[in-house]
Amino acid sequence: MLHVKDLTAAIGDKQILKGLDLDVGAGEVHAIMGPNGSGKSTFAHTLAGREGYEITGTVTLDDADLLEMEPEARAAAGVFMGFQYPVEIPGVNNMYFLRTALNSVRRTRGETEVSAREFLSTAQEAMDLVEMPKDFLHRAVNAGFSGGEKKRNEILQMAVMQPRLAVLDETDSGLDIDALRIIAGGVNALRGPERSMIVITHYQRLLDYIKPDFVHVLVDGRIVESGDHTLALHLEDHGYADFVNHDLDASGRPLSGATS
Amino acid sequence: MNSTATAAAPELPTKRDEAWRYAPHADLAQLTFGPGGASAAVPAELEAQIPVFDGPRIVVVNGIVDPARSELATSITGLTLSTVADVLTTEPESLTRHFPTDAEPVDAFAAFNAQFGRDGAVIRVAAGATIDQPIHVVDLALPGAGHNTSSTGVVIEIGEGSEATIVETRLGHGTESGGANVRTTITLHDHATLEHIVVQDAPPAQISLSRVDVTQGANSTFRGRSFNLGASYGRVAHAVVLAGAGAHAELSGLYFGFGDQTLDQQVDIVHAAKDCSSRQLYRGVLDDSSTGIFSGGIDVQPGADGTDAEQENHNLLLSDRAEANTQPRLEILADDVACKHGATVGQLDETALYYMRSRGIPAAEARRLLINGFADQVVDHVSIDALRPWIIDRLGHADA
Repeated sequence: MLHVKDLTAAIGDKQILKGLDLDVGAGEVHAIMGPNGSGKSTFAHTLAGREGYEITGTVTLDDADLLEMEPEARAAAGVFMGFQYPVEIPGVNNMYFLRTALNSVRRTRGETEVSAREFLSTAQEAMDLVEMPKDFLHRAVNAGFSGGEKKRNEILQMAVMQPRLAVLDETDSGLDIDALRIIAGGVNALRGPERSMIVITHYQRLLDYIKPDFVHVLVDGRIVESGDHTLALHLEDHGYADFVNHDLDASGRPLSGATS
Repeated sequence: MNSTATAAAPELPTKRDEAWRYAPHADLAQLTFGPGGASAAVPAELEAQIPVFDGPRIVVVNGIVDPARSELATSITGLTLSTVADVLTTEPESLTRHFPTDAEPVDAFAAFNAQFGRDGAVIRVAAGATIDQPIHVVDLALPGAGHNTSSTGVVIEIGEGSEATIVETRLGHGTESGGANVRTTITLHDHATLEHIVVQDAPPAQISLSRVDVTQGANSTFRGRSFNLGASYGRVAHAVVLAGAGAHAELSGLYFGFGDQTLDQQVDIVHAAKDCSSRQLYRGVLDDSSTGIFSGGIDVQPGADGTDAEQENHNLLLSDRAEANTQPRLEILADDVACKHGATVGQLDETALYYMRSRGIPAAEARRLLINGFADQVVDHVSIDALRPWIIDRLGHADA
């Protein structure tokens, strides 16, 4: 599925990713955790194709070279990124936006476009999934949405796009417990043997709802530790200190954190 | 050489006239004026450009009403449609607001219009009537014979408590310079409501000058929309006087420039009575090396207490050679006044483009969606369903 090898990313002189390796198999859910500034969001954007980074290394999805593709081509190849800060687009309504998006990727893949009627039933299912109110389709994209509605809209879009690889960038940030439950429910409903997910989060809390197959710790642009979901529980108890300052002690032990 | 201009031609405005500061003065000096001539032949492609919707239509060609294309006889109760030329013959005194004898014209083009704009449409709605169908006045400019600029008058009178919707479409044809100089005088009696839409999409060689003077009675509502889309210099000026207490004026406009167009909106709202409210919401999209101007005046006269006035102007620059000039002009001489104004000039939101592309929408389509989304916020104000797609369609010019 997804293979990331020795990925680096820089903005100007600032090196953010410093040789990241990650393999995600079909149907797997990988959580990436790490402190602020460790490069989690940058990693998500290098997968989605944001401009402005100097990138080296390789990223392939189903053997296709993602780094060579424009963002829209990556979407057609099956990449979907759930934004940490979903963008407000005044004047463009959700129905038009979503249908244009869906038909754009279908056109690129050589599939037939969905009719207005087919689209409405697809959209309705997605709306039900994240409990979006009826007037949603006629509202402008994210304009005037609450924080929780914006994040629910990301999952709704994911349900419509049915991606091969979903990258969810801090989808849990700024959510109350009810919204978190709705979003996690949506994500879990979209898990499947042919769909992989990368869930980026600060907090273990989300992983109580979306149980990952693997957990990785990203520190200073590299994955420094990988494990199963118990690694997240360890982080919850001990923080990132084990991994952040581990090179500062002459004896090779972390300077601070859970050494006791 | 120009035999039709009078010896004592009025003096043209200059750069020092604030209301004409960004106008192309050399081009304006090339305009020649004269009385309306015989109707020129209207080419089929121009005819095909005219938006079509249900309702009576009056077509003016080079300043003269074209009877073959117009329906003056109407069975709609309370509505009277006539030509300016006819009313000037039968009851000229009823047109004194449009052809004032006791006041100087505001500028040279108003003077030319008063002198030569002796035909056009007169639309009268009797008291207590609701006109369900929009009335369409189409002004076509086909420069060529004699003078190059046509002069047209439109007189609108909405009786007490009546309601109407009127669209004025301005189109032209040909590659010769010249254009149209149209003046509209609107009177809203007490409790009357009018939606008045000006759509201007003249060819790139032409100049389009529009001036709309509005006087509002107590508790009347004027909804003025302007779409300034074509012409090398397109000007839409609104002068609204809120003369009766509780009157409400709501003006919105879209200017959408490309090439080296200059699109100029001049708005003046005079609050002359108590408890009136006014809104100005103008949006500009400017591509290539086009220039957009919004100059919005709010003039609150002594005694106009309880005034509530707001003004907003937003501009989207699609090219680093495009230019937006925005100027609020506020003069407040009353107490208890709420006045707000704001202006922005920005570019396409790169983050929004990336967001849309990440959903699979190709870059060009994402750009178009964002631009139309920005423009739609004015287009959506138009109540005539059939007109909105026509306007959106014309916006496509910018990509040509």
